Amino acid sequence: MTVELGGCVGRRLAFVAALSLGFCAPAHAGQGTPAGQPVAATEYPSLRLSGFGNIDFATQDRTEGPRGFSEGQFVLHWVSALSARVNVFGELSFSPRPDAGTGSPSATGFNAEVERIIIRFDQSDQLKVSFGRYHTPINWWNTAFHHGQWLQTTISRPEMVQFGGRFIPVHFVGALAEGSFPASGWNLNYQAGVGNGRGGVISRGGDAGDNNATPAWVGGLFVKPDRAFGLQVGGSLYFDKISLTGQPDFRERIFAGHIAWQREDPEIIAEVANVRHEAVGGISTSSNLAYYVQAAYRLPWLGALWKPYYRFDRIDIDSADTVFAGVSNLDGSTLGVRYDISTYAAIKTEARLRRRVSSQPRMNGWFFQVSFTF
Amino acid sequence: MRQGLWNRLCWALALGLCLTLASVALTAQQAAGDVAVVVHPDVPVDNLTLGELRRLVLGDREFWPAGVRVTLLIRAPIAHERDVMLKKVCQMTEAQFRQHWIAKVFRADTAVAPKIVYASQMALDLVNQIPGAITFVDLSQVGRNMKVVRIDGRLPGESGYILR
Repeated sequence: MTVELGGCVGRRLAFVAALSLGFCAPAHAGQGTPAGQPVAATEYPSLRLSGFGNIDFATQDRTEGPRGFSEGQFVLHWVSALSARVNVFGELSFSPRPDAGTGSPSATGFNAEVERIIIRFDQSDQLKVSFGRYHTPINWWNTAFHHGQWLQTTISRPEMVQFGGRFIPVHFVGALAEGSFPASGWNLNYQAGVGNGRGGVISRGGDAGDNNATPAWVGGLFVKPDRAFGLQVGGSLYFDKISLTGQPDFRERIFAGHIAWQREDPEIIAEVANVRHEAVGGISTSSNLAYYVQAAYRLPWLGALWKPYYRFDRIDIDSADTVFAGVSNLDGSTLGVRYDISTYAAIKTEARLRRRVSSQPRMNGWFFQVSFTF
Repeated sequence: MRQGLWNRLCWALALGLCLTLASVALTAQQAAGDVAVVVHPDVPVDNLTLGELRRLVLGDREFWPAGVRVTLLIRAPIAHERDVMLKKVCQMTEAQFRQHWIAKVFRADTAVAPKIVYASQMALDLVNQIPGAITFVDLSQVGRNMKVVRIDGRLPGESGYILR
């Protein structure tokens, strides 16, 4: 268009076209912009909305989760620029409730949850400071995929970061500083935060305030070297004091590490976390270990739409740990395949073989999912 | 004797002319396929490594040294410049690139996704107007007043330039 017209008129038309077409393109696809206008003319706040959803089917020989068809989470995600350096991120999920319609007043059909709400000031690449409710940056998976099922290769999350799980604190309410340095091509990234830590129910963060006077601290480092593009290696620490009703306070220390190779030929993700609990004033320390290794490979044939995968999960819970009473051990294998039916939707199917207690038989199941983003 | 010398001289001149023309044609052919990385004139950068360029294109680096936010202008799919960028810089397919940016914004790593441009002239106009802007344009479209950044020390048209 511009080339044919040329000159000043062409340039003006190009600018108008950019404003009216290019900058208003769909936000997804890495093409559109949240702002819809060039930086110089951006109006604030600018809001951009996207979402994720999934429909699941499960058949299992023993009940562990839903059977038959089920609605997965319906997730809305928004980004709003308040100025050139201040942005707000939010994630809202709606999860179907198995107790819908029961109780008085009757339970609603869906449980709404503010998964994340973050306001961040970007000083530079080296320093970004934010406040809000996060997925705790103690675990790679937890902060890479959040509640976007379509983003992850598999249907299920690793057991150590299951929704509603207790092994690691999935949510964190507080403040976070983060940034990155080139470091001669190593691209060193850091995260450091302080917040409320686990709530009275340890699977939840302290949304309404801390339940003790000791804040939780989290810190992490990871590198993404230029020479091995696609590789991320890092580790993190988490310190908190847990206060539970009817029990002494416990000091919690978590040491975690991860390695992720995200090129899809192959994709390899491995994480390990050690969670230690020590009664305040006591002498005994319990140690719990969880890890998983996942491998996938996008097949180059048939349009590169098929991606088989395998994951091994293991959780070892110290039987003397009263904080994790009721948390199950696990030896689990997940074997499946993902098929991308479009750029923004995928079909996944997987078999899971799990053993919770060594003396008991395995629980086997077959699962199917359609997941998408919009 | 003199006639033979004259013949040899003519042949040498003809051979030299052919070699020169072939060299010019080869250079022109290479340059025609080269994609230049053009930035706003005020961007205080003259050279980028391929790793640095990749971090810019994938949103891992959001600011120039002067503290100005990077605005990424990318050609729409099918454009030669986009293909070269995906293949040589990102080492990704179109689908992988799209998924990367969806995930990037969803992870709250960045709030600003790339802006799409539909023509080279549009990219050149906007890169000169938006502070901190960077774009990819076929070398044949780049004017003399544009700021072209070296990649690993090489300009488009030079031997060993990677974006072609």
